[in-house]
Amino acid sequence: MDSERDAEPSRAAPAVELDGVTKRYGDTAAVDDVSLRVREGEFFTLVGPSGCGKTTTLRLIAGFEEPTAGTVRFAGDSVAGVPPEDRDVGVVFQNYALFPHMTVGENVGYGLNFADPPDGVSREERVAELLELVDLPDAADRDPESLSGGQRQRVAMARALAPGPDLLLLDEPMSALDAQLRERLRVQVRTIQSELGITTVYVTHDQEEALAISDRVAVMRDGTPEQVAPPRTVYREPSSRFVAAFVGDNNVFAGRVVDVDEPVARDGEREGTTRIAAVDVDGETLRVAIDDATAYGVTPGDRLTFCVRPEYLRIGDGASRLRATVASAEFLGETTRVTLDWGGRDLVVRTRDPLSGEVVVGFDPADAHVIAADDG
Amino acid sequence: MSDANRDAAGGGRTLRDRLNGRLRGRLLTALAAVTSVLLVGAFYYPVGTVLIEAVLVDGAPTLAVFGELLRDPFYFGELARLFAGESPVAVARGLLSPDRRLGIVGFTAYQAALSTVASVALGLPAAYLLARFEFPGRRTLRSLTIVPFVLPSIMVAVGFVATFGTNGTLNRVLGAAGLPPVDLMFTLEAIVIAHAFYNAPLVARVTTAAWESVDASAVETARSLGAGPVRAFFDVVAPQVYPAVLTGAALTFVFTFGTFPIVLALGGFELATVEVFVYRLVRDLNYAEAAALAIVELAISLGVLLAYLRYEARNSVSSRGVRPLPRKPLVPTAPTAREVLPRLGLAAYAVVAGLVFVAPIASMVLASVTGGDGALTLEHYRFLLDRQRTGAAFQVRPWPAIRNSLAFASAATLLALPMGVVVAVLTTRRYRGRKLVDTAAMAPLAVSGIIVGLGLLRGLVFGVEVAGWRFAATGAVAIVVAHAVAGYPFVVRTVAPGLEGLDRSLIESARALGASRARVIRDVELPLVWPGVVAGAAFAFAISIGEFTATVVLATGADAYTMPVAIERFIGRRLGPATAMGVVLLVVTGLSFVVIERLGGETRGL
Repeated sequence: MDSERDAEPSRAAPAVELDGVTKRYGDTAAVDDVSLRVREGEFFTLVGPSGCGKTTTLRLIAGFEEPTAGTVRFAGDSVAGVPPEDRDVGVVFQNYALFPHMTVGENVGYGLNFADPPDGVSREERVAELLELVDLPDAADRDPESLSGGQRQRVAMARALAPGPDLLLLDEPMSALDAQLRERLRVQVRTIQSELGITTVYVTHDQEEALAISDRVAVMRDGTPEQVAPPRTVYREPSSRFVAAFVGDNNVFAGRVVDVDEPVARDGEREGTTRIAAVDVDGETLRVAIDDATAYGVTPGDRLTFCVRPEYLRIGDGASRLRATVASAEFLGETTRVTLDWGGRDLVVRTRDPLSGEVVVGFDPADAHVIAADDG
Repeated sequence: MSDANRDAAGGGRTLRDRLNGRLRGRLLTALAAVTSVLLVGAFYYPVGTVLIEAVLVDGAPTLAVFGELLRDPFYFGELARLFAGESPVAVARGLLSPDRRLGIVGFTAYQAALSTVASVALGLPAAYLLARFEFPGRRTLRSLTIVPFVLPSIMVAVGFVATFGTNGTLNRVLGAAGLPPVDLMFTLEAIVIAHAFYNAPLVARVTTAAWESVDASAVETARSLGAGPVRAFFDVVAPQVYPAVLTGAALTFVFTFGTFPIVLALGGFELATVEVFVYRLVRDLNYAEAAALAIVELAISLGVLLAYLRYEARNSVSSRGVRPLPRKPLVPTAPTAREVLPRLGLAAYAVVAGLVFVAPIASMVLASVTGGDGALTLEHYRFLLDRQRTGAAFQVRPWPAIRNSLAFASAATLLALPMGVVVAVLTTRRYRGRKLVDTAAMAPLAVSGIIVGLGLLRGLVFGVEVAGWRFAATGAVAIVVAHAVAGYPFVVRTVAPGLEGLDRSLIESARALGASRARVIRDVELPLVWPGVVAGAAFAFAISIGEFTATVVLATGADAYTMPVAIERFIGRRLGPATAMGVVLLVVTGLSFVVIERLGGETRGL
């Protein structure tokens, strides 16, 4: 099912398309040759550590910056030289940027000075409608300063949506809020987005938020997307060591292939074949499933990088087993996150029961995901 | 829904819209061009024509005038011998000898240095009081520290004459107490105290602001690491306050180095400073020497300013007081030395401050209603009324002075406001050469008012010929232009911080919502910096009403005299009418401030 969503629909031009877009500031490229396609109605998230170019990418789409090279297209048309006010985008910033000298209602209605409200309603009706939508029906006459952070964020959202933009751009809109509120609001944001069916580009540094809220995620690093895929794919099948380590907890192993099995059918879920490779990692032989994409190319002697999520490392079980000692544990409520010391490297496991001393953890070949294989 | 929207918006973007967009984009460029032309025409060109005379004798460029000036002990005292080629050792010995001569330039620097020390000494306790103590009226007192700065200098001079003059308040009090009278008039002390009156509040203001932005948690961290309260003050608070004190000191030095009306009124030609001498040379029509002297003055002022700016660039600490230090009550909480001593010190300071700041104004008001015999009288005001009714054409009459002052100030403010706002916008944008634009736009603050006045007199009033067209302005127009040029840097200074501090995402939000760049200025930026604009207007108005230096040059002979010029003409003959005129000026200035504040709505203190 993941591969279905990944496939490019051929019928219409993407709502937003970046084609070889580069943005340089002096000698440094904040955004480096990025090509992305955001589909109509999609909730698309740019996620990555600070300085990865995600905000610059968003600003290029909004028109606050013009690319040094490459083209940004909306529904197939280049928007080069089109100022932000003519792009029909709604933008929400991290600090909300509510106009302090206007009431909440005036803030929400500001965009209606330049565009008639959609569906032929009056300006007042539209403002009321939007405040209703963000669950602040009585706030129109209030002063933005009197609102809480979460309320301001919702007003900013209502203001961005009021003129009925084609595209909603959200730049870390929740990073200034506390964790609980953030989780509640992201559900609300997603609900509103689905209800309106508006194409949305969301920027965040919080990978958990990105996974929770998006249809597709672009994990960015050094100005380039490392992987663009639905959240499940990014989580389960990271395409690079960076993605594997950035998205969620992970245990990344690298070693040399010593043997490759005959093909076997895997899970019955996929077509094609899966083979099992025996990999020597620091003297321990671990068995890893390698699927169609890499299956035929892998031969003994190749270097293989793979990862196993903490939740797939089982205590005293699994085809490949490792003996390790408990280094530290964090009680998280539902589970305990335990860091193990395995011959000088860290392993992370999740358990329900407390662990101590020496433990054996293991995993089955299918629980490992191959990130890279090369002849080197 | 989104497709329909796009069609509507796309279809609406016609050629006319695009053309409009282009024009709006150029609006700022056009305004900047107009401002530049104004600045060149009203400042750079006139000043240039005067200054060029220092290096151009009979059409040939020469540095002879400078050479003579630098070697003249009359101007440079013992230092002139150095410029004349004598050995530095001999000059140093001469400087250390008791009968050394400072020369005009040396004396000017000397009195400026003394004034700076006095201003810092008088300003720091006020900053301590305002930043660290809580008491009723603290905010009002803090706002009041701006008042001396905008008071017309000639009026302050009258106040000081009324206080320290032979028949002044001080001698009356001393006489009543059975003490011998003191004569402070035409002494260095009087000048220094008058300068402190002007500049100590400035020092107090910048220092208080810095002190208030010290984060309490920084002090608390130092304390928890083992520093005592005194040590914590010197290690954490002082380093953050010290640059502000230096700012105040540098500005004080520059202002007092270029001082004119105070020295003219309190020092006379015996204690003349450079600016007073430039005025005298101009009156004697010795333009070359006046220009050379003005250039020397400008070089020293700019040197101090640049040295200070370099220091500031290296040492600027931009910490935002997340949580300011808690203020202490003015009443001691316990009878310990630590609690009581600082407050006793402040009480003593209050007496001195009362003498320096309140006495001149109070004395002026008192003197305006006191007759020669010491009895209360309205004769001085009656004199003004009589003069208005029966005064000859060549005599100074009060009503034209008031009318001119108000008219010039209104016109100058209307001119200075757009100029200042445009320059503020230009200097808060990011581009190459911004520093240069900033400096060029601020130069009027550092150039001698006499030279600006003279340049305008000869450049504008006597007329200039440009490409066969002859332009000439009346004295009144020249005065308005001079006042606008003198006042607009203050508009820049009050508006720019607001623009600088404006959150960029506010502007971007408005644009994403459909507002053009020009529309964002109207809807978002101007409303948010409006308090700064109003404060700038008040400044420009006050500067114009109080401006004396350029006005006195431009108003020669003409009937374009203002209230300060009228005061100066009265003071030469009798103090009484001058004090009465001073009170009129005080009342008119005060009322104008109320009006500006009403017109502008709510203002934030600067």
